[in-house]
Amino acid sequence: MSLFWQCLVDSLLLGGLYSLMSIGLSLGFGVTRIINFAHGEMIMFGAYGAYFGSVLLGVDPLLSLPLVAILVAVTAAVVFKALIEKVLDAPHINQILLLFGISLALQNVAAILWTGDARSVSTPYSLTAFEFETLLVPHGRVIAFATAVVLIVALFCWLRFSELGRATRAVAENGQAATLMGINVSRMYMLSFGINAALGAATGAISAFLLTITPFMGFHMLIKAFAIVVLGGLGSVTGTILGAFALAFAETWVSYYVPEGNGWAEGVAFVVLLCVLIIRPKGILGQAVAVH
Amino acid sequence: MKARIAIFLVLGVAVILLPLIAPPVMNNMILRVGSLVMLAISWNLAANAGLISLGHSAFWGLGSYAALLVANKLGWPFFASLIPAMIVGAISAAAIAVITGRLKGIFFAISMLALSECLRVIAVMTPGFTGGGAGVFIDQALRPSTQTVAMVTAFCAVACGFIAYWISLTPFHYACRAMRNNESAAEMLGINPLRFRIAVLSLSGAMASLAGGVNIWYSGFLDPMIGFDLHVTILAQIAPILGGIHTLAGPIIGAFATIGLSEATRILLGEQGVSLLVYGLILVFSILYMPKGIVGTWNTWVQYRSRGAASAKVGTTKAAPL
Repeated sequence: MSLFWQCLVDSLLLGGLYSLMSIGLSLGFGVTRIINFAHGEMIMFGAYGAYFGSVLLGVDPLLSLPLVAILVAVTAAVVFKALIEKVLDAPHINQILLLFGISLALQNVAAILWTGDARSVSTPYSLTAFEFETLLVPHGRVIAFATAVVLIVALFCWLRFSELGRATRAVAENGQAATLMGINVSRMYMLSFGINAALGAATGAISAFLLTITPFMGFHMLIKAFAIVVLGGLGSVTGTILGAFALAFAETWVSYYVPEGNGWAEGVAFVVLLCVLIIRPKGILGQAVAVH
Repeated sequence: MKARIAIFLVLGVAVILLPLIAPPVMNNMILRVGSLVMLAISWNLAANAGLISLGHSAFWGLGSYAALLVANKLGWPFFASLIPAMIVGAISAAAIAVITGRLKGIFFAISMLALSECLRVIAVMTPGFTGGGAGVFIDQALRPSTQTVAMVTAFCAVACGFIAYWISLTPFHYACRAMRNNESAAEMLGINPLRFRIAVLSLSGAMASLAGGVNIWYSGFLDPMIGFDLHVTILAQIAPILGGIHTLAGPIIGAFATIGLSEATRILLGEQGVSLLVYGLILVFSILYMPKGIVGTWNTWVQYRSRGAASAKVGTTKAAPL
């Protein structure tokens, strides 16, 4: 029985991280209709930012998170303006390959700058845990979960109540109508891409004390984020959160209850992705997305 | 027309015989270029029908594993092992075509990416069958000389080129193009998209698997990271994009150009990370400034020149043919 509770707690905590990891991707797609294949690299840069903040300046990853997120967001907005904006109306193939190329270039810039060595950040809370009888709840994961919840709630509030947030939702719903209402659509695109990047970098900063940091960490997280976004339904932010918890539960369950589960858990995301595509391609809460 | 085919045939035979006269060090180069030509043609075939694959390493890896397993477990020799390699590639590609159904563009790209990763996890997790993460050597006694492997690679690459050429002459090619531009319209004209999708993907999968199958005999060692390497996926798309997507000569020219560039960066700059960075930059540059690749840019230039000459003479301009 204690294994069951442990599994439940672990999957809940992991679900928070996964939500944050994929919500930016989902929001970015909803607004710009472009799948950001470089999302994983934003996570990676966020993680390196937190790592260097901690190692060189002795700053806790949680404190460097806002600065790292803003830096990555600004860089992403510049990249968007310089490169991605040119293919907004181009065929899908151009968009996919351009983003893929950007991701490849960023990955290898990181590999050249910081070598392929695996790194990790140690904080006072990364090795301690709450203990309830047999239940073990690591402090690091709780803090990561709390941070994710705070950021996601902030995002929802921003989308719901602020002028820019409402404009973002309007653009996601109908870009042309939004233009007619006097919304500067191209600026909203840039903004939402920046926010997408900031959320990615924030994910990176909190995974800095949970996971190993390498230049290629982004790729695996990207595929998981894809699975989550497709599971929840492309373009639905609420669906994404459901998808994140579903994937977290599935992965944790597999790694606890299946023999050699830790290795197989890596494959759960792909199986989920393929199953969703077969059974219900628009996902749990997906709107019908026109695919050309 | 006949003269053109004759020229192609002579060129093809010359390429296949090249390993016999070339110095042995060239075998490696022939193998790399030949494999990439196959991969690029295979990728371009799928792209012609509007299917953008971000996981050609899946087919490559399946082909490698199929060839290796029939050799190690059943003792099949080099040539025989290439047949199961192709069959496995074709069947899995057909399955993917059915599974992804009408999904195109993004969904197809993502599911290919996921498939390749999924297969890698399976290969790692079933050590009894595939040798697992530690990898496995192919039966040394069965291995042919590198010269033979290079010749077979050259032959397969030429064969793939001919298949692509032959397809470009058939209505199949036009059906694919119609599907790429507008699947619903193509369906209304009586094209069954699913059937064409299965056909085109199986062919593409078989070609990529064949390339993987040949390569395992050259390298002799396979593990999941090599078999389902993202590098293969990247190369498979860079070559056609650089050479000219949706064209006949594009993937072939692109394969030569890509290997040339990768050799140049390796000699000039060294590390592997640099060559991958260069691939990324090529991709970005090509999409933004040269979306039709080397072939397309060349054609535009030739047209521009001849049009300039023609308009000077007659004063008319003709529409650019596709």
